[in-house]
Amino acid sequence: MWRIWLLFDPRRVLVALFTFLFALAIIIHFVLLSTDRFNWLDGPATTSAVPAQMISVEHVRRDVV
Amino acid sequence: MDKQDQNQSISGLSEKEAKEFHKIFVVSFVVFVAIAIIAHILAWQWRPWLPGPEGYAVIDSAASAVSSFIASIV
Repeated sequence: MWRIWLLFDPRRVLVALFTFLFALAIIIHFVLLSTDRFNWLDGPATTSAVPAQMISVEHVRRDVV
Repeated sequence: MDKQDQNQSISGLSEKEAKEFHKIFVVSFVVFVAIAIIAHILAWQWRPWLPGPEGYAVIDSAASAVSSFIASIV
């Protein structure tokens, strides 16, 4: 397995690996921040609480009728 | 000349250098994976990321039930 470093230059491999891992980490963190459940800074978004209630009421009415 | 050609690899490393770098690389990789596993365990304890068929509410209530059960035992 160590013979891989006879093929690939370790310096380039390390630069590519760290670049890839950093980009992956950034993407994952932003994706998590964009969700309600996994946003560790603001928590779930509560701005649309009233419209959500109205929508649910409408759904209930339709179900009843 | 022939001896130099035999020692010359594509990356320019000798076998000794390749083995030395490989040791450091493997140790670093193992440390990285260990930290990642710990981070995932902590993140799962904070909020599991695989919802059941009923969504996250069942998991959260089950988790809270388990934690309260453990707390009652201890």
